[in-house]
Amino acid sequence: MLLEQLQIADFRNLHAVNVRPSPHATVVVGANGQGKTSLLEAVYFLCTLRPLRANRLSELVRFGTEQATVAGRFTLGGAEREISVQVAAGLRQAFVDGKKAAKLEDYFGGVSVVAFTPDDLAVVKGGPEVRRAFLDRAVFNRFPAYLREHRAYQRALKSRNRLLKEHAPASYVEAYDEAVARTGARVLVRRRELLDELGPRAVSAVRAISQLPDVGVGYTALHLGAHHPQTEEGLEQALLHALVERLDRDRDRGFTSVGPHADDLQLTLGGRSARAYASQGQGRALVLGWKIAEIENVRAAFGRPPLLLLDDVSSELDPERNAFLMHTVAESRAQVLLTTTDASLVARAAGPDTLWLRVEAGEISEDARLRPARTA
Amino acid sequence: MTPDPLNRLVAQLSKLPGIGEKTAQRLAFHILRAPDDYATELVAALQEVKSKVRLCTRCFSLTEGQLCGFCTDPRRDDRVLCVVEGIADLMALEKTREFKGRYHVLHGVLSPLEGIGPEQLRIQELLVRLEDGKVEEVIVATNPDVEGEATALYLMRLLKPMGIRVTRLAQGLPMGGDLEFADQATLARALSGRREL
Ligand SMILES: Nc1ncnc2c1ncn2[C@@H]1O[C@H](COP(=O)(O)OP(=O)(O)O)[C@@H](O)[C@H]1O
Ligand SMILES: [Mg+2]
Ligand SMILES: [Zn+2]
Repeated sequence: MLLEQLQIADFRNLHAVNVRPSPHATVVVGANGQGKTSLLEAVYFLCTLRPLRANRLSELVRFGTEQATVAGRFTLGGAEREISVQVAAGLRQAFVDGKKAAKLEDYFGGVSVVAFTPDDLAVVKGGPEVRRAFLDRAVFNRFPAYLREHRAYQRALKSRNRLLKEHAPASYVEAYDEAVARTGARVLVRRRELLDELGPRAVSAVRAISQLPDVGVGYTALHLGAHHPQTEEGLEQALLHALVERLDRDRDRGFTSVGPHADDLQLTLGGRSARAYASQGQGRALVLGWKIAEIENVRAAFGRPPLLLLDDVSSELDPERNAFLMHTVAESRAQVLLTTTDASLVARAAGPDTLWLRVEAGEISEDARLRPARTA
Repeated sequence: MTPDPLNRLVAQLSKLPGIGEKTAQRLAFHILRAPDDYATELVAALQEVKSKVRLCTRCFSLTEGQLCGFCTDPRRDDRVLCVVEGIADLMALEKTREFKGRYHVLHGVLSPLEGIGPEQLRIQELLVRLEDGKVEEVIVATNPDVEGEATALYLMRLLKPMGIRVTRLAQGLPMGGDLEFADQATLARALSGRREL
């Protein structure tokens, strides 16, 4: 998969962008507040239809305009495809080769992307919701159908919560207990499949970049009890059981207290919770290891590396770990978009075919002079 | 300036689902250019559909009389009843020519987020229909999305205690997709591979 051309109109502070990224590294250099993250966010949105940091889609539309558009020409398995997405009036519409994409599967045929931003570095110390989102991004990169499955769960959950608040009759709530259990089991199975694949890779990646005590990657399913079959049916039954058991409590509180929306990704160092005990540096090494594992995992699953989006992470990592990351990126031969305030930090990921871009007040221009002397 | 009557027609047409302003304009021009008979017949058809077509009092599909063709056809099997969300789904299933039982149209699904509960659907009427004990199997053919599944589960809980076999169309239908848009082969396969609920 190759992003051959990228066009952006009125997305965040980007007015009009038209670039042809390098098949390998494209480096975007700019001071803070110029539009670096906006550019990566546009590409992430194009590839996943999910916002990278926005809470509402309307935040993506440039102030004073009505509609944001991101379009990309990709080569996918030898064929050229043009995919694009528009946001207007808080709604998004996706297009494949100029036609409205009816099914999300049509849209995602083969596009995969791994993003790494300074926000990710905070997941170890953050709340469970931050880690769930972090985990779900990885699941989605690996299983595109997860977007639909996760949405189905969200919908079932919202429906049940509504019924709880409205004191709906038991027979009605029970029907949605089952809907929550069924869609929730799917989410659990997907998360577990991802962790089974990614966990060991993350552990060895962390070992390669640090001397951390043994790293653990696990998952806590809240209120589910330890003894249930790990099959999808088993999980569905366990969820259903917990939902029924907690119904009175849930009715009192007006929301559902059990299910994947309440779970947590468990990261441990030497058997202890990394959230409670890891230092900032240790936490960052964990996340870096995870991200490298994600790249390897997508490559192993799809036979090609994902598109990488690295947003200003080099300035957040110490020199050694940054060097490791840059080396991994160069080795992977993946197509990568990196942003930085300082071109020298990402020099190691660059090569002769690197495209150097400067971003200033939302305008993007090519500028070969950005190339640090060492790689010239 | 376009004449008011034309504007009014375009405005009415663009209220139709799937018809935007541009398409409405094209349709309006087409009607304007067509021979006079066409507009007259279109008007008559529109009026007739409103005055003559109503819901069958038994299955709630469409009919001109009291009962619809599906309910009165003596060759259809009284022992199997297929429950669908809407008339478009009924028509899609009917096109496969695989199903020879009777129908029941719910006119919607249970949707807490849209404020649609059991009372808004033709569920009570379904229970009344089943009272005589003639129906042995109910096939729940609601869409395989969250609301369709929840509605199926709700019905299953109501019907199972009545000693009725309750089945669900096999998956293989696009998840989150609409029955109405599924191709016939997929639908036929789903029908023959239906599972117990
Ligand atoms: N919808 C929007 N319309 C216009 N400007 C926006 C919008 N959203 C954010 N911005 C602005 O865009 C600028 C660039 O943000 P960002 O891409 O995060 O910068 P960088 O990553 O280069 O530090 C910021 O000044 C921000 O306030
Ligand atoms: Mg930024
Ligand atoms: Zn009828």
